[in-house]
Amino acid sequence: MSIFEYNGSALVAMVGKNCFAIASDRRLGVQLQTIATDFQRISKIHDRLFLGLSGLATDAQTLYQRLVFRHKLYQLREERDMKPETFANLVSAILYEKRFGPYFCQPVIAGLGDEDKPFICTMDSIGAKELAKDFVVAGTASESLYGACESMFKQDMEPEDLFETVSQALLSSVDRDCLSGWGGHVYVVTPTEVKERILKGRMD
Amino acid sequence: NCGSALTKMSRRYDSRTTIFSPEGRLYQVEYAMEAIGNAGSAIGILSKDGVVLVGEKKVTSKLLQTSTSTEKMYKIDDHVACAVAGIMSDANILINTARVQAQRYTYAYQEPMPVEQLVQSLCDTKQGYTQFGGLRPFGVSFLFAGWDKNYGFQLYMSDPSGNYSGWKAAAIGANNQAAQSMLKQDYKDEITREEAVQLALKVLSKTMDSTSLTSEKLELAEVFLTPSGNVKYQVCSSDSLSKLLLKFGVTQPAAETS
Repeated sequence: MSIFEYNGSALVAMVGKNCFAIASDRRLGVQLQTIATDFQRISKIHDRLFLGLSGLATDAQTLYQRLVFRHKLYQLREERDMKPETFANLVSAILYEKRFGPYFCQPVIAGLGDEDKPFICTMDSIGAKELAKDFVVAGTASESLYGACESMFKQDMEPEDLFETVSQALLSSVDRDCLSGWGGHVYVVTPTEVKERILKGRMD
Repeated sequence: NCGSALTKMSRRYDSRTTIFSPEGRLYQVEYAMEAIGNAGSAIGILSKDGVVLVGEKKVTSKLLQTSTSTEKMYKIDDHVACAVAGIMSDANILINTARVQAQRYTYAYQEPMPVEQLVQSLCDTKQGYTQFGGLRPFGVSFLFAGWDKNYGFQLYMSDPSGNYSGWKAAAIGANNQAAQSMLKQDYKDEITREEAVQLALKVLSKTMDSTSLTSEKLELAEVFLTPSGNVKYQVCSSDSLSKLLLKFGVTQPAAETS
């Protein structure tokens, strides 16, 4: 089994009309055994920037802690929050530093940039960025997620519609993957508020 | 004979930072403190619901480009801030060092660095410059204001020697002795944050050299707990500060110029 499949994960981020959604599954496993069903895979960097990390859980935790370190110092020196595009570049640089001994993670970054324009991107474990205008996926269920998102996605969805679409795409994809699932965690972010919801899906 | 010749020779090297004088003093450290005695003053007061920091801005020229950044107060981490007095460029280096130290602690222990440990860590850095390297000490004194879950609100003062101690009220920079004695008289243990602001502004207005006291010459910052229980560092806006100065009756009108 590949090291990327050791813990199991599913992540998706989608762009809507002046908003974005980022969602993950909640399973933490050790190969075939399920250890936790409330694992947080998405973390807030600041009010308008979220980071999801799929892959090996320990690397995801450490990488997140290193990014908080860098972002806190950035905030103190620049006296402002980091823009999503800048943050994506930082993540990419940090991952490439470990080019020959990488973090076994695939990040999904979602945020609101200048003029509240939604920004999403993903990258591979050594920092190759993939910017997308519609959706990005990561994790053991990524192949199913690609298919589900491609068929369910529409441009300029309102936050409520976006939530429905992301939730359906996530739940249907993790149901086809034995290593991810046990519910879902969805964040829908607009310029004015962040709505966090837990999804109940097939608990297996 | 030989002995007196030796002492005469050793006096030539006493000004080096890492060498004691025959009287057991570190001259460079003392000279650094002299430099701070000429800098804009800062006062810190510990109250039961927060810590107040007030600073006097020395350079106020109309030509200065206004910016939102502060000159005397700096945030070190979410739960710790500091006021500076002395050489600004030296202060910037130390503030950056303190910020990185705080983040390194959080990275390792996943919780905010206790205030005293942060102060101690920075003072250890400062002490290094008085013992090795042949480099001069930093010409800065700090007032650290912070909160942690072990000891609540705290106020610390540190100087170029790397020495620090905890205070209920302290003053650094110009006229700090006068300010300190005024604080000693008027400080009460159960002082509230609002009373502390009033006391700090009053003491600063009395010890400042300038003829008029306006919000452009001052900076005021507070470290307190929000109703939700989070530590907050807030710099008072120029407008609120003007209102406070009027409210406490410490605004002195600017002298008429013909």
